[in-house]
Amino acid sequence: MNSMLERLAKEFRITDVVERRPGLTTIKVDKDLAETLIRELRDREGYTHLNFMTAIDRIEDGLFTLVYMLHNYADKSSLSVHVDIEREDAEMTSIHTLWAQAWTYQRELRELWGIRFPGSPRQDEDFCLEGWEDIPPMRREFDTVEFCERTFVSRDGRHSEDPRDHMHEVMFPNRGGDN
Amino acid sequence: MAQLPTHSSAWDMSPPEPVDLSSGKYVKLWQGPQHPGITGNMSLELTLCGDEIVECKTHVGYLHRGFEKFMERRTFIQNFTVVCRIAVPEPTFNEYLYSAAVEELAGIEVPERAQWLRALNLEMMRLASFVMWTGGMSGAFGLYTVPNWTLTYRDYLLDLFEELTGARIYHMYIVPGGVRNPLPDGWKERTLEILKGTEKLLYEVERVMFNNAVFKARSKGLGLITPDMIDPYGIVGPNARACGFARDLRKDEPYLVYDQLDFEVITGTASDAYERAWVRQQEMHQCIDLIRQMLERTPDSGPFQARMPNVLHWKIPPGETYLKAECTRGEYGYYLVTDGSEYLRRVHVRGPSYTHAIAVMERLAVGTNIADIAGLMVSLHTYPPEIER
Amino acid sequence: MKLKDLISPFFVWQRAFEKPYTVSMRPIEERPGAPAYRGFHINLSEDCVGCGSCYTICQNHAIDMVEVEGLEAKSGDSGLRPRFDYGRCCWCGLCVDICTAGSLRMSNEYAWFTTDADEFRFVAGVENKSWDGRTGGYHRHPDYHLFPPKRVEMDMLGPEESVESFTEVVKGYSEEQARLEADRCVECGICVATCPAHMDVPDYIRSIRDGDYEKGLKLMYRTNPFPATCGRICTRRCEEVCPVGILGEPVAIRWLKRFIVDQVPAQEYQRILNDQPGSSGRRVAVIGAGPGGMSAAYYLRRKGHAVTVFEAEDKAGGMLRYGVPSYRLPDAALDKNLEYIRSLGVETKFNTRVGRDIQLAELLDGYDAVFISTGLWVPSSMRIQGEDHPRVMAGLRVLDEVANGRDPGIGKSVAVIGGGNAAMDAARVSRRLGAEVTILYRRRIEDMPADPEEIHEAQAEGVRIVIQAIPVEVTDAEQPGRVAIKWGEAEMVPDPKGGRPRPVLQEDRMHLDSFDTIISAIGQGSDLDFISKQDQEQLEVKWGKFIAGDYQATRMQKLFVGGDVANRTADAISAIEDGHHAARGIDRFLTGSAGSGTP
Repeated sequence: MNSMLERLAKEFRITDVVERRPGLTTIKVDKDLAETLIRELRDREGYTHLNFMTAIDRIEDGLFTLVYMLHNYADKSSLSVHVDIEREDAEMTSIHTLWAQAWTYQRELRELWGIRFPGSPRQDEDFCLEGWEDIPPMRREFDTVEFCERTFVSRDGRHSEDPRDHMHEVMFPNRGGDN
Repeated sequence: MAQLPTHSSAWDMSPPEPVDLSSGKYVKLWQGPQHPGITGNMSLELTLCGDEIVECKTHVGYLHRGFEKFMERRTFIQNFTVVCRIAVPEPTFNEYLYSAAVEELAGIEVPERAQWLRALNLEMMRLASFVMWTGGMSGAFGLYTVPNWTLTYRDYLLDLFEELTGARIYHMYIVPGGVRNPLPDGWKERTLEILKGTEKLLYEVERVMFNNAVFKARSKGLGLITPDMIDPYGIVGPNARACGFARDLRKDEPYLVYDQLDFEVITGTASDAYERAWVRQQEMHQCIDLIRQMLERTPDSGPFQARMPNVLHWKIPPGETYLKAECTRGEYGYYLVTDGSEYLRRVHVRGPSYTHAIAVMERLAVGTNIADIAGLMVSLHTYPPEIER
Repeated sequence: MKLKDLISPFFVWQRAFEKPYTVSMRPIEERPGAPAYRGFHINLSEDCVGCGSCYTICQNHAIDMVEVEGLEAKSGDSGLRPRFDYGRCCWCGLCVDICTAGSLRMSNEYAWFTTDADEFRFVAGVENKSWDGRTGGYHRHPDYHLFPPKRVEMDMLGPEESVESFTEVVKGYSEEQARLEADRCVECGICVATCPAHMDVPDYIRSIRDGDYEKGLKLMYRTNPFPATCGRICTRRCEEVCPVGILGEPVAIRWLKRFIVDQVPAQEYQRILNDQPGSSGRRVAVIGAGPGGMSAAYYLRRKGHAVTVFEAEDKAGGMLRYGVPSYRLPDAALDKNLEYIRSLGVETKFNTRVGRDIQLAELLDGYDAVFISTGLWVPSSMRIQGEDHPRVMAGLRVLDEVANGRDPGIGKSVAVIGGGNAAMDAARVSRRLGAEVTILYRRRIEDMPADPEEIHEAQAEGVRIVIQAIPVEVTDAEQPGRVAIKWGEAEMVPDPKGGRPRPVLQEDRMHLDSFDTIISAIGQGSDLDFISKQDQEQLEVKWGKFIAGDYQATRMQKLFVGGDVANRTADAISAIEDGHHAARGIDRFLTGSAGSGTP
């Protein structure tokens, strides 16, 4: 694994190599080289299996980190390839020609995060949300509680007391650190 | 059955000829979302030319509960109660993989007794799931007696789960740190009894289902997965093993106590519906054997839970991991990312049906007879809940 | 097509005469849930303490903590009980797993039919349900814990080593130990009500988890200017009600308090606490520089009033310095707290006894308010013949001598009469001075008012405790310079009214033992000679102690009282709170009812 990464590191400007545990390593690659690297890993290094493709929303950095999890059945090792892309107008090269299930993942990423993959088939088809009008919900700024309160009606009558505050009120209202 | 049309590439999704719906040559039929031939809630938008399917578009989303987002708003201990619902018919793998991923990132080591109990729970879950599937497979071809038998035995297995874990389907038994309780008194004996009965059942099923002219005629050659499809489509589990690929995570990357157990990887020669069913049939026997081995060797004493920090304010250092287990359908995986807070940053659940039920299904459906589409779907052993989570 | 494949399916007929698998489900009770089934909740309301841990852990907010008619908040019990919303519950059982009191569990009932959906919100254990009496259902397995039940052990000097000197016996937690112990807190806050000063316990414990000791210090000073002291010798009533202690060991709140305080050097206090007292122009006199008086001084300064403290001894500290031995409370820790208070500009007049060097009337005249916190310094009499023997010494006097660096001259063999903390202190100090020590106590060990840890450590250090021993007379011993005590064994007689059993002297079982010194430590009373009898009547003094009103006020408008001389609990933390509360009261009195606004 190390020698392979060493070989590829220079050409593909791989950074942030972290061995999570024997058999699972994370690497980071620039957006413009990612698809080429993944193709190279599939065709020449034995990473023929795409476990999954997903995104992590790093809202505090203004980025999405795309994660491609690749597996090499021969030496039983996995590579987690991280690619950072901008959150606004997020776009990434499509890999739908590399694996047959990739277009499904890309469809999901478009719907739930708002990441576009130009050329990916049936990109705008609904995946798991039908008639969704709000922002892509997996984005961290989407507040699910606020959405529920806005959209659904709750049954009245829920109210909870905090034990500490209640005891303060009942047992020592004019003492304690605030008094 | 029609010849499989050739595609320009193995995963070209466009139909072989343009479909003009107004020509009167085609019928659009929706199979699902409620349909006995769908193993969950999912629909197939089928375009038929006569009896033959020329295009299949899958529609998922009826079971989208937003788990991955939901879990970002729950603490690590709270999530363990939620994950089982992600794959409804086979919940236990979620509990195990979530707990194991959390433990790996938190640096918690689970005691040996808990490893055995977890593996026992998982194998029993596999057996229960396969048993239910067998009923589904047979029922998809209209042979309704077998489902009655197998669902009964599944019910007995659910009774055993109820005794062990406190619930029949959503066990919430495998918790970060270990398991919630050891085996109740007499449970081993009752399980061995049920296994005896299940084994007898399997022989009966073999007799009436696998040595059955109707079943053979309908399933042989149906939905053939060729070896060159396996890695491009990410096909795993019995679907791939039936093709001859000896890939089983319990052997290749052993977890829990599988490296201490005695079993062989079961393969077939050509992955059509019949062969896949036959591989699963053998795997059920294998499950029974593994469960018997585990019942004999599970330690009777010792801790079943690691020392846990206070789960009410439990922070896990930043990290990332991907853990896999061999469920009945193949590679089930949990990808977990933590950021040092009390909440996980990202969890992604990788269910085998993500590819089996969409890309593979859409490909294999083309050229299939409408009567067989249910059988094809069930033979791929797809569980829609794990697709859209 | 093989013939076998045409015939084989007919084997289904073999089942034709078998009994069906399905069972009839009438009535549904015929199929109970498994013994460990997670069914509907049962909560034993008498055992529940309303800590709210179930509320916190519930992943779907299905639990509310609600007031219940007939249940009042009291020490150790918030009075709230969990109400379950079965529209949201998923029956995961996490609430049962986290229940600190062990009161919550589940039955194995799973069927509930009603036409009123609102019924599905119910207060378990308060609203009667049909499944309440069931024994089956999910219980947390005793070996399964979602928080560590055992306390992190405190490192202490072993008794052979501790008895050799006055070095502090308790060594204190390391950072890792403190973090692990702080982790055990479930943040219920029940301890806050029981703490006499209502310290923000869960908050400063959290500051340890966060590694923010400065914040912890600030939190402590909101209610207690003696954290280094209390972190060592507090009576820790909080720990007695800590719900973690119901099934496990209570969180070591006192040791955690000490840990925070020990992390912050005295020079940093000014910057961190940032007490910037203003100047209201009012002046308050405080009589007694013990914990009560100095606490009042601190909070009065924070509120901007000028304070002068009158102290009869030559150093501040009161009972903390002169009554508590330094192996429990080193001088350095006490001084750290006192120095900071005085650094806010508290004027102290030592060696000034009110009633002798200055009169109360002068203070009432010359100051805008007066706070009395003079403590209990008069040893109680044993009320037996011969107790004025020269070789009988009061425990307080022994401790006072040692605190002042003098040798009390107790000799090599000592008897201590009494069972409270003062008796333990006197006994253990005597051991350190090289004496063999015997304690004579009239009741049983479990009746001793002393802290069980003190009793245990005293015994470990070689103190012999004789229980059910009633002293009857003190006489000269055979050898000159020694003293003898005649004591009788006591039978414990049960109280017909159900109270504590009484010791009854058995006249036929008397003993006579000789010692170099007899130390009497059976109680302490007040010296209120500086207040005229007339004033005492007006103020409401009973049995030598003040009866304090709201905000520690008395019937004399300018006069406030607090500490051992005015409360029933007689420990440092109560005195500290009395001082604080008096400061609140004085502040309201001086500035109008709302007070200055500074807590």
